[in-house]
Amino acid sequence: MSGQQQDPISFQVVRPGASAPDERGRRRVHPLTPFIQGVRWWPAGIALALTSTVQFKVTVGAGALLVALAVLLAITLMGTGWNYLAWQRLTFWFDADGDLRVDSGVLSRQERRLQLSRLQSVDVLQPLLARIAGLAELRVEVAGAGDSKVSLQFLTLAEANSLRNEIVARSAGVRHDAEEAPENMLAAVPAGDLFLSLLMRAETFVLLLVTGLLIFVTLVTEGTIGLLLLATGGVPLFSIFTQFSRYYEFTVAESPDGLRLRHGLLQKTRQTVPPGRVQAVGFVQPFLWRRKGWVRVRLNVAGASTSAQGSGDQSYTENVLLPVAPWPVALAIVSRVLPGVDIMSIPLVPAPERSRRRAWIQWRQLAVGWDDQVFITRGGRITERWDIVPHARTQSVRVTQGPWQRSLGLASMHVDSTPGAVKISGHHRDADEARRFSQEQADRAARARATDRSLRWVAQQQLAATSSTVSDPATYPPPPMPVVAPVPGALASLLASPVEADPVEPAEAGERD
Amino acid sequence: MDDTRTVDDAFAPADAAWTRVSPLLARAYRISLAVGTLIGLLVALGLALLPDVPVWLPVSVLVVDAVVTAWASWLIGRRVRSWGYAERADDLLVTSGILVRRLVIVPYGRMQLVDLVAGPVHRWLGITTVQLHTAAATTDARIPGLTPAIAADLRDRLARRGEQRSAGL
Repeated sequence: MSGQQQDPISFQVVRPGASAPDERGRRRVHPLTPFIQGVRWWPAGIALALTSTVQFKVTVGAGALLVALAVLLAITLMGTGWNYLAWQRLTFWFDADGDLRVDSGVLSRQERRLQLSRLQSVDVLQPLLARIAGLAELRVEVAGAGDSKVSLQFLTLAEANSLRNEIVARSAGVRHDAEEAPENMLAAVPAGDLFLSLLMRAETFVLLLVTGLLIFVTLVTEGTIGLLLLATGGVPLFSIFTQFSRYYEFTVAESPDGLRLRHGLLQKTRQTVPPGRVQAVGFVQPFLWRRKGWVRVRLNVAGASTSAQGSGDQSYTENVLLPVAPWPVALAIVSRVLPGVDIMSIPLVPAPERSRRRAWIQWRQLAVGWDDQVFITRGGRITERWDIVPHARTQSVRVTQGPWQRSLGLASMHVDSTPGAVKISGHHRDADEARRFSQEQADRAARARATDRSLRWVAQQQLAATSSTVSDPATYPPPPMPVVAPVPGALASLLASPVEADPVEPAEAGERD
Repeated sequence: MDDTRTVDDAFAPADAAWTRVSPLLARAYRISLAVGTLIGLLVALGLALLPDVPVWLPVSVLVVDAVVTAWASWLIGRRVRSWGYAERADDLLVTSGILVRRLVIVPYGRMQLVDLVAGPVHRWLGITTVQLHTAAATTDARIPGLTPAIAADLRDRLARRGEQRSAGL
């Protein structure tokens, strides 16, 4: 066992240092982990057993119940035993280069090294069971092809938070024993608004329809007993509750290491979104939200969705910055991740009128636009969408043309971003114009890449925060002018703003990957 | 073959000419097509030999097989001629497609991986595919039908330029 100074009865007590490093400086996750992983499947397993019992109309006696209990216990014991072996073999530590290393695996060993200079996100999750025990899961993602995500299950909440801070600090190349950066609350989503907004989506009507049909069919084929089947998870309408539960008490706070998102009813999640790592931002407005002036804000973050596609992990399929908010609030928050961009003032170029023959509902909405920092597309009539990608985050640019489009002389242009919910597509534009805009976008992206500095987010934020003259901590300082020749003292103090003269500057030098 | 027949002006590069791919690619496509046609024939034959199968079933399979084969073999030549790429100062342009036309502009600084891929048929014919990857899954930039020497040269050139202009995410 790794240095446990706690007594076995009160292991829920959140205590720093629950996993003290061993003689080689390696740490383990919390010793309760195997047990929690062993009983995690109980709700689903019991629900499945109940459903099948009802479905096949098996009469259950006391004997069968005992057998079921024995099976449950046996599987749990086996699972816990296996997870204990896994727990014993999982160690993590920071190596000499300051990167996070994780060794794990019972039968096949896996040694992973997460290059923290390529850090994309650090999340602290608390699934219900772990939350009851005062534990949390830490997920670390770095940019890279393939599986670049590591999950440490489970740590005490305090330990997970301090590890999160350490990882963020190390990734930014600042002192890793620094205190957790202070934060400033920006927005909170009221539960009532969230619930109403989830009901007021087009999906709700489809779900209601499907649910009604399902209940009807079940009643006809199974009788009233069938309703019990529905209650155990068969009702599609539950997906609204799932969403509600996921985004419950959603808050956005600003801190020097990025935006902090907290949400969750049963499973608490705490995400950190470093502004410089945001690849694209999208606004979505379903038809019924328009009168309320509500909008949902989504993000593409590199790494986050890629690794989730296989695992089917719901919380990562859609990165939500704000589940629902009035336009002004949404714009204010987005201005923190896209500093200096005034989305509303970007001139939009609409699609030509002949596009109505290709897209007869949404053609009036179709438009693209750009300023010196971002490219924006607008589309959708029933559910309106605005998708924004910074030039510096443009991966590639595409033009596509289907046969129908060709007959009308139209083409679509796409600005490719990292995988995620936000897709930047300017549909059904004049073909020549689409071609021209694409090349121009590629050129703008090249220029933006050459001058982009936003990857060094923490260092910049710190510069801004420590400087008394900068009132808005989200405003990025301008790139420092290279000083070629020695400048006379008085002139130098005039030229160099306090931001650039800050001594923290050298710390960011080695951080760029 | 002049380029204008397969690629209209909207898809032409502004300051470079398209480099076309090897006609051997057409042969690779034809081999794949022949295999597909053969499988269709075998399915029709199997259905005809099975008892209790109405006659119209194998016949319709045969008809569909013939129509698809005829249509695809008419398309293959044009499809191969539609592939083209152009190396510009800062980005690579790739175009392709007959029914759905595509043009991809990939900045050298955004390339994460450059792969050379060749399946058994392509290897036997002596052609290779250069596959580019960026951080976006939708980029879809591949250039099939290059002779190995050209492909390796292109890969090295792209990798070198990618390194020079490399940018973080």
